[in-house]
Amino acid sequence: MPHGDHLHVTGLTKTFGRRRPVHAVQDLTFEVASGRVTGFLGPNGSGKTTTLRCLLGLVTPTSGVTSIGATPYRSLHHPLHVVGAALEASGFHPARSARNHLRIIAASGHIPDSRVDDVLGIVGLADAAGRRVGGYSLGMRQRLALAAALLGDPGVLILDEPANGLDPEGIAWLRSFLRNLAAEGRTILVSSHVLSEVQQTVDDVVVITHGRLVHVGPLDALTAAAEVRVRTPQRDALMTALADKCTARVTDHDALTITGLTPAEVGTIAFRAAIELHELSAASSDLEEAFLALTSTINNGGAA
Amino acid sequence: MIAMLKAEWRKASSTKVMWGLVVAAILFACLNVSLLILLRPSAARDLPSGALLTNADYITNIIGSAGSSAFFALILGIIGMTAEYRHLTITATFLAAPRRSQVLVAKTVLYLLIGAVMGAITFAVSFALAIVLLASKEHAQIDGGQAMQILGGVVLGYAIYAVLGVALGALVRVQVAAVIGALAFTLIAEPLLGLFFDWAGRWLPGGALRAVLQATAASGRGSSTADLLPVWGGALVLIGYAVLFGVLASATTLRRDIT
Repeated sequence: MPHGDHLHVTGLTKTFGRRRPVHAVQDLTFEVASGRVTGFLGPNGSGKTTTLRCLLGLVTPTSGVTSIGATPYRSLHHPLHVVGAALEASGFHPARSARNHLRIIAASGHIPDSRVDDVLGIVGLADAAGRRVGGYSLGMRQRLALAAALLGDPGVLILDEPANGLDPEGIAWLRSFLRNLAAEGRTILVSSHVLSEVQQTVDDVVVITHGRLVHVGPLDALTAAAEVRVRTPQRDALMTALADKCTARVTDHDALTITGLTPAEVGTIAFRAAIELHELSAASSDLEEAFLALTSTINNGGAA
Repeated sequence: MIAMLKAEWRKASSTKVMWGLVVAAILFACLNVSLLILLRPSAARDLPSGALLTNADYITNIIGSAGSSAFFALILGIIGMTAEYRHLTITATFLAAPRRSQVLVAKTVLYLLIGAVMGAITFAVSFALAIVLLASKEHAQIDGGQAMQILGGVVLGYAIYAVLGVALGALVRVQVAAVIGALAFTLIAEPLLGLFFDWAGRWLPGGALRAVLQATAASGRGSSTADLLPVWGGALVLIGYAVLFGVLASATTLRRDIT
């Protein structure tokens, strides 16, 4: 089973244009571990795609280095066997069939042609493989891009907004598929501008905005700040039980909003104190709010 | 390199562009053959009727019609390179071959071969048509040795022109600009320059190509051979342009960020 290399981004800076320079990425440093799914998050235009393209040797950094394990992408001998990348859904010749698109990549990467039908089957395109890609839907193009990334059975997968254009069924499939690949020890880096899209998939997150790093670490650390909503007829008893363990805010005669504990922890405390609960939920939008708070700080010229 | 050549061949053969241009080259050459045999060029108006086809030079001219389609090989090379940028398949190409100049080398080798085959096929079909159309008419003997010499010139000219197209495409990258630029230069700018600077013509791509196709020019098509370089000289000049464009591209456009 291919084991994934760690990805390294060190002091990465990329400025486009000379006369009116655009600072796409500024002094970005992070690592991506193997055996985990890492979400690469940030609003549109925050520098995610530029960073990924630097990692893949398509864009030359203004300064800083990127590497796959210890090797820069451009020095890899058989890159498609090490890294699979799905960058955008538009890199196809419209007159070519999906199978021919993949056969071209297979030939250039020393990959046997039999693998082409394997990956077409994996992503669910076997029946459409002979059709012109020009007639494909966005979701089908996403699947084809993923198939291309999988061709060399690489230990590292780099996927740029892979959920775009997928239906809910496709997203659910992608989620379990990526989880399985990570469980095999591969390195999975998935970018998205919507946290909720990947929050059930990722273990770690790297959050950037305006080309700068604002948060890196396990997803849990992001949600720690999120809130838990509780509804109970014994509101005051629960407040006493929670007492110094967290911050509880009264939102109604039978409702509390708690920060600093997970829903499970609140449930345990209530159970031990024999307190009846009518509702216990993570305020899921609050995870998104935590994300928004992170990514908007810099907008106001705050923490940098 | 074998793997990359295989990939490049699959790119070229999986769309209709290459087949379409080969067919266009054949049709254009055949049109040329038919017109020369069935009509009378205005330049030959003074010759007595029937004398035209008994003129050995005129027959050689007909046999060399394939040379007039060489432009399609140039277009084929340009599209072979620029289609990658136009359809963004260059991303997948450079992911598989991060040392980018290898891509240019692979395309050069492949299009050299495709151009040569395209020239051979175009010559064969137009030659066969000429024999068929001439069969019922009184005509000068077809010189087999000269026909082989013309074939060699056509194969060489097409091959180098296709490679020149690849190099030009790598440098210009924008398909429409490269095709229109090549058209405008060879059809408008070069004849214009030739009008005012006699010595310049032979050093420009069109003049160098005519030198490579020399056998056809020798038969009276266009300028006299005295203005042209020898075959090897024309080939070297064309290769020089291709190498110049290729080296320039490797140092500039080929290094650019793929975003």
